[in-house]
Amino acid sequence: MSTPGPERVPQSVKVDKTSGQGKPPVSAAKKAAGRGPSGKTPAGKGGGKGRKPVTPVKVAGSRPWGPIAVAGVVVLIAVGIIGYGVFAAVKGSRGWEDKVADIAGVTNYREQKNAAIDARDHKEGPQQYVTSPPVGGAHNSAWQNCMGDVYDQPIANEHAVHSLEHGAVWVTYKQGLPADQVEVLKQKVQGKEYTLMSPYPGLDKNVSVQVWGYQFKTDDVNDSKIDQFIQDTRLVSSMEPGAACSSGNTSTGPLAPAGAPGAAGSGS
Amino acid sequence: MSVTTDPGAAATVAAPGGDTPARGSRPWPVVAALILGLLLGVAAGLLIPRFTHPGNDSAEAGFLRDMSTHHAQAVEMSMLAHANSTNPRIVTLSGDIALTQHGQIGYMQAWLRDWDLSPTGTQPAMAWMPDSAGSVVNGLMPGMATPEQLDSLRKASGNALDVQFLTLMRAHHLGGIHMAQEAIELSDDENIDWLAQTMVSGQQSELALIDSLLKQTQGS
Repeated sequence: MSTPGPERVPQSVKVDKTSGQGKPPVSAAKKAAGRGPSGKTPAGKGGGKGRKPVTPVKVAGSRPWGPIAVAGVVVLIAVGIIGYGVFAAVKGSRGWEDKVADIAGVTNYREQKNAAIDARDHKEGPQQYVTSPPVGGAHNSAWQNCMGDVYDQPIANEHAVHSLEHGAVWVTYKQGLPADQVEVLKQKVQGKEYTLMSPYPGLDKNVSVQVWGYQFKTDDVNDSKIDQFIQDTRLVSSMEPGAACSSGNTSTGPLAPAGAPGAAGSGS
Repeated sequence: MSVTTDPGAAATVAAPGGDTPARGSRPWPVVAALILGLLLGVAAGLLIPRFTHPGNDSAEAGFLRDMSTHHAQAVEMSMLAHANSTNPRIVTLSGDIALTQHGQIGYMQAWLRDWDLSPTGTQPAMAWMPDSAGSVVNGLMPGMATPEQLDSLRKASGNALDVQFLTLMRAHHLGGIHMAQEAIELSDDENIDWLAQTMVSGQQSELALIDSLLKQTQGS
């Protein structure tokens, strides 16, 4: 068995090469070169370097495919988890704040870190606000009912700011705006909880819509950015998720004198 | 036990023999595996939420948004009755309705948030229901009280308050039950079906109570 094997295959070439004789290796190399293009054989390289053709054959035979496959799957899963984590983190970071920031003309008061606007204390009696209409700050313990309520008279800032804290969008318009334009605004509010609407004396634009910490002003009641603003901020702007818009004050006019706390809600 | 250890042992035995010679030519398969894994991960991240969560225009999302609005008005009416009624049975019923429905709003809002969906939809109210055309009047869904009716309820007292509350809540429940039944029909989401089913059964049993209380209060 062992005697005919080695003499037929590469080993015979190896013997010739090491023996130092010129002819046999050359003829072998020529044959190999001739066969080369049609099919690769170890003999092609073997003509030049005797030992190398043996090595690749040996490795291919003993490569541990099992562990490699296991390691590959583990790496794949690990990288997949990381990739998903990165993706989820990036995607999750785009919240409603980013959407509002895309609306041209919106003022972001939250990023200004103004203590007078960020204040959330409950205080009785009239309060001073730094913006008109206000977008935040200390407010009355009673909120203005904001179940899509449309008030035809100005309401107290101190109640409305509390509604903003609960996640309501407050639509205000310049007092004296033509009725047909008021009607357009009314359609955006009526029947929609977490919205309220009222005229606002001395407003510098025809319309101002605000949530806690954000405001958008325009002269055009048909401006689609009003709808966009309501769409992107209603409810999600709440400083107290889950807080209600019902059970609020429903009377209009300036704040009731201090000492008569809240509860004007159920009165006429 | 022995079945799992055997291949593991075989693998560890085989590993040292193969590792050394091939180490030099290894980087490309590893890099390829990393890139492939990354792509698979991103793809899975993109696709899995869409397969497992209802989308922005789904009946599920529409139901959660609209039922939140519908419930919010029930809470409003119930809190008025709870605060102003002098009939202990009305005070109890209205408190029960307000707390239950406010709690259910929490469930519905949480699911929308969990699904990365806005609590405010871009579609008009009731658009998720196929036969809803014309059912929304002045932004109010079926069964909802008008601003005038709410105003009247706010000002009412005594027996008139009780009768108005029961009458409005009766209509409100009928509208709500219809919406919940439609959601069960349209959705096969487990959460939606579960919550909508509890709304149907809960409000139906409350309707029976409302009817008996109406008889009592109107008779007195």
